[in-house]
Amino acid sequence: MSDVRKQLPLVTSSDGPFWEGARRHELMAYKCLNCGTYYYPAIHCVSCDRPSMEWVRVSGKGSVYTFATYYQVYHPAWKGDIPYNVAWVRLDEGPLILSNVIGCKNEELFIEMPVEVVFDDVTPEISLPKFKPAT
Amino acid sequence: MSVKDKYAFSGVGLTKQGKVPELGANELAAQAILRALDDSGMDKKEIDGYIFQPGLGGGPVGNAPLVSAGIPAKFCWEMQTGGATGISTLAAAIGVMEAGLCRTCVLLNASSASSMGLKIGAGDDHRSTYGAYGYYAPVAQAAAIARRWMHLYGLTKRQLGSVAVTLREYANKRPEAVMYSRKMGMDDYLGSRMIVEPLGVADCCLVNDGAVALIVTTAERARDCAKRPAYVMGYGFDHSLREIGRSPTALWHMDGFVTEKAGQTAFDMAGVTLKDIDVAEMYDAFTIFLLAQLESYGICGKGEAGAFVEAGNLRLDGEWPSNTSGTELSWSYLQGFTHLTEGIRQLRGEGGDCQVENAEIAMITGLGGTEEPGIGSAAACCILRR
Repeated sequence: MSDVRKQLPLVTSSDGPFWEGARRHELMAYKCLNCGTYYYPAIHCVSCDRPSMEWVRVSGKGSVYTFATYYQVYHPAWKGDIPYNVAWVRLDEGPLILSNVIGCKNEELFIEMPVEVVFDDVTPEISLPKFKPAT
Repeated sequence: MSVKDKYAFSGVGLTKQGKVPELGANELAAQAILRALDDSGMDKKEIDGYIFQPGLGGGPVGNAPLVSAGIPAKFCWEMQTGGATGISTLAAAIGVMEAGLCRTCVLLNASSASSMGLKIGAGDDHRSTYGAYGYYAPVAQAAAIARRWMHLYGLTKRQLGSVAVTLREYANKRPEAVMYSRKMGMDDYLGSRMIVEPLGVADCCLVNDGAVALIVTTAERARDCAKRPAYVMGYGFDHSLREIGRSPTALWHMDGFVTEKAGQTAFDMAGVTLKDIDVAEMYDAFTIFLLAQLESYGICGKGEAGAFVEAGNLRLDGEWPSNTSGTELSWSYLQGFTHLTEGIRQLRGEGGDCQVENAEIAMITGLGGTEEPGIGSAAACCILRR
């Protein structure tokens, strides 16, 4: 119908390694090597006095913390996806990441649903981490 | 040293609320300022400070309203912390007055959001990580919080609806309310258009044109003004930033707003407790916001707010008369200024058919943020007395 495209993520210097990992189909999180706390988005550790931050690969497993289902179109590129979900996934390592759960109907989604990461290659440079029901 | 009771609201100026295409935001703001002066009986030369919030878009620009209203202020500040801005401008004004730099300030919110066709949360073509996932509009975070409440506490759609219906009943008794002539029962609510499930259009605040100006001055000066002063007893703030070290989920505050310090500080300064509150005006950009704050401020136990509201407790004859104008869901969306305005009017006895009898002490809350994931991240609480 039109060539209206979905927005691409804003890749900044602070989360570049996250998107480089996604391109390799590896989910990354920001870890404090001093105390072991994982963060996403990249937050300078607030849990300890001697933060030492590094991007590390995480398991890609987690569970649905909560979700919202869109019936209103806020961007024309999403019109054909209505109703679609936005889900907050709690990774097994701790962080809460905003994404979409794909590969199941919205009615089948539930809080605490086990999910695992899957990558949506939207351009040659950008792969979006999304989640599907865990196998 | 405490500033308890040292400052007071002496004037309230409201424009028409709703669709006001004949006036731009600068004109709305100027009109509100002049009406607040009329209301207080003060002279415009007394206004030496101005702090404003330009709505969510379509707001007044800089000092333009002061130029057209002819206000010789010494400073003109813009402030933005979403729905917590009303109380935040009050705190800033008191800070300046306490430093002896000025005596009287105008606090203002104005917007032409409706006439400009503003679409809150609409996406664009820029790069955006949230946009890449189709995450748009503050209502989505509110919906996700409501979903969490449904899962954890069995919150029902009818309980969310009881907030919207109760507030609509208030607005139906207030002629200046945007929804004055639009009745809404529970069946209407349940049948209303879904926006982001589980929240529908009736769970969301209005988007409208309008302005309000509030004059705050020294208690001494306020006592000589035309209207009964609303004294500022205490105020406080909190922010979900404070909690990010505790839990990685706290940044999104999906399990409740971080309001503890806001309430504690305000009540401690005021020297009162929840039992002393006669009327409350709590931030209600979405039905779930009001419910969650009933719990976070300790009016209800965790998970109990849905049943509390469904039992009629926000009504005039309930345990916690609250949001008595219909506030943001049904009266007018002036962000945190909506609640300050109605709190002051209740203490003056100007609540009309929604007046809480003999209201002496009011609790006002604000909740806002300006950057994702900040919706509802900044909390503000204020206690006023007559």
